[in-house]
Amino acid sequence: MTSASRTKAFIAVGLLPALLLFVLFVILPIIWSAYYGFFDWKGIGAATFIGFDNYTEVVKDPIFWTSLKNNMLIVIASVFGQVPIALVLALLLVKNSRLHTFIRSAVFMPMVLSSVVVGIIWGYIYHPEIGILNFLLDGIGLGSWKKEWLSDPDVSMYSLMVPIIWNYIGPYLIMFIAALNNIPSEMDDAAKIDGAEGSRKLFSVTLPLVWDTIKVAVVLCISGSLKAFDLIYVMTGGGPAHSTELLASYMYNNTFSIYRYGYGSAVSTVIIIISLLLVAGSQYLMKRGDRL
Amino acid sequence: MNKKTTVILSVVLAASLALTACGSSDDKSDKTTTEGGKEKVKLTLWHNYSGDDQRAKTMRSLIEQFEKDHPDITLDVQAIPPDGYRTRLKTVAAANEMPDLFVMWPGVMTKEFQAGNLIQPINGLLDSKKEWKDGFLPGSFDGFTIGTDIYSAPIALSPTSILFYNKSLFEQNNLEVPKTWDDMMHAVEVFKSKKITPISLGNKAAWPAQSSILSSLADRVTGTEWFLNAATQGGAKFTDPAFIQSLQYLKDLGDAGAFQSGFNSLDNTQAEQYFAQGKAAMMIDGGWALTNIASTASTEAMAQMGATVLPSTPGGKGDPNTLAGVVGTGLGMSAKVTGAKKDAAYEVMYALAGPDAQKRVLESNQLVSYKVDLDKSKVTPIFAEVYELVNNVKRTPVYDGVLSSAAADEVNNGLQELLMGGSPESIAKKIQSAVEKK
Repeated sequence: MTSASRTKAFIAVGLLPALLLFVLFVILPIIWSAYYGFFDWKGIGAATFIGFDNYTEVVKDPIFWTSLKNNMLIVIASVFGQVPIALVLALLLVKNSRLHTFIRSAVFMPMVLSSVVVGIIWGYIYHPEIGILNFLLDGIGLGSWKKEWLSDPDVSMYSLMVPIIWNYIGPYLIMFIAALNNIPSEMDDAAKIDGAEGSRKLFSVTLPLVWDTIKVAVVLCISGSLKAFDLIYVMTGGGPAHSTELLASYMYNNTFSIYRYGYGSAVSTVIIIISLLLVAGSQYLMKRGDRL
Repeated sequence: MNKKTTVILSVVLAASLALTACGSSDDKSDKTTTEGGKEKVKLTLWHNYSGDDQRAKTMRSLIEQFEKDHPDITLDVQAIPPDGYRTRLKTVAAANEMPDLFVMWPGVMTKEFQAGNLIQPINGLLDSKKEWKDGFLPGSFDGFTIGTDIYSAPIALSPTSILFYNKSLFEQNNLEVPKTWDDMMHAVEVFKSKKITPISLGNKAAWPAQSSILSSLADRVTGTEWFLNAATQGGAKFTDPAFIQSLQYLKDLGDAGAFQSGFNSLDNTQAEQYFAQGKAAMMIDGGWALTNIASTASTEAMAQMGATVLPSTPGGKGDPNTLAGVVGTGLGMSAKVTGAKKDAAYEVMYALAGPDAQKRVLESNQLVSYKVDLDKSKVTPIFAEVYELVNNVKRTPVYDGVLSSAAADEVNNGLQELLMGGSPESIAKKIQSAVEKK
């Protein structure tokens, strides 16, 4: 046995427990869920096989398309909100001074709070009667801008984006700071010798070197946004009248509020397919960006 | 591959298999033996009396008392927050892992559990205590009965559509409590012009408008018989003009600005506090508001509150002297409970739903479906008023107590849409198709 194949065998053994757990708790449930999607099942009693009926109903249901549209808004807001803001903050806060550390912890803080707490805090900020936001608008003479932030379907999705962006900047900030710290100091020196400074250095040296981290952040951001559920569930519950429904809350309501387990399983399978397509699509786009 | 790696591999594999085996092993040791050799019975009990209101506290103290009095019966109690309770219960039902005893709703839930062979009748217990059984108000067991089998004894009565009003706000504005729909619209207009919220509503969870307002309002317009026919699709449809008219009445209320701003993003409790603070002149809410009011509102605030039924509608077919309401929850028993455990379970049921328990529950400002004389000094004045009201009017069905979960969900969301400006016709159509799909 050569040492190379021995190393490979060792890696395989090392991976095995994690792989088994992953298959057992992630892959198998996905397959099961896709399978349950073929049944008309209330959760109690017998399940009847109905072929692709659930899946066609998903595609035909206007509420599914509303939630997909809303969810795409969240994905766009997160990718173009969370990632750039985190990156800019990381570039500004990369030093280890006391002020920088303080601001960094402040930005990361919401991640430490439970999302139920965050949802309740923002629920009070947007509260139609006693909310700080409407109070502030009144105070600075913009009373006419006052809105029913969470129940007016024209603005509610945008109101929900703000806490979602605010809540999840933290982890990306940490990732980017780590990536920036990993740039070897020789690069800095070399850039200095070549006379690259300011924006020239940023775009030609720094950003290309953290590009891989940005790609990872975008993928995490897309898959995270497609799973978005907790904040919305606490703040609006997907309502009023489905106007802030997301894919996950649509699935949850069908499964656990009106007890259509089969249909809910079909919806989750569709969510997985959409997520995979989006993640693959974004990877493809960014790969092309590499070659340019 | 050399021997060493093969060994490591097989050990890891065996270990992970053993680990997974642990997860699925079914450990059901219900009976443990005490030192004396007497068999100790262990029962699991799930309830939703986890809040801070008086009823929940009373129920918890009844359970503690039972444990103290019965050292041979061990209760493994799980108190689950009310919002998540139904979901938890339905989830274990799907996995066929019901607790031995659990709080259960009459109507649709009882039917579903019975159809899934998850529960067993308690006729044996009821027949052995005739006096107790006869003490329940007429119709108490209807929602828990399938054929001749009775599956639970209710520990609560929930009128869902009481019209609460603030006496001093009505007096200050020279208004009478509305008896007809025109009075109602007039009162709304007057309060609105005085910058007082006419009706407090918290419809974020989407059921309050349906359960509290529409159930009674639609009954005024269509009559009870029409609704029961429409729900079973026996000669009546939700697209009938009468039902569309009742949606129109609700929409008129919304259009007249009867509810506070952002009512679709407030929850029921917030709306109750809003009313209790005197910021709104009226509130259409269920009996559950009483126990919340009792624990949060001040004595002066409570003295201002009155309660009555919803006003009549012009030319309506329903009896206006009625309240929509349901018999509340009771304890259900898993079909798997047998032998000594069953006897113990019967004892728990009697301890929590028997005459003494019903009396204590009533005194904690929670209406019960059982004949008890109310000692008015022990409850709040508004509770005493509602108690009188409930004993003097007839009860009509509540929409989500009769419709399937999917159809009720459609009504809930439809009403939110209606109050945001949707059209009654198109919402009626959606409800009708949800009922048909069943």
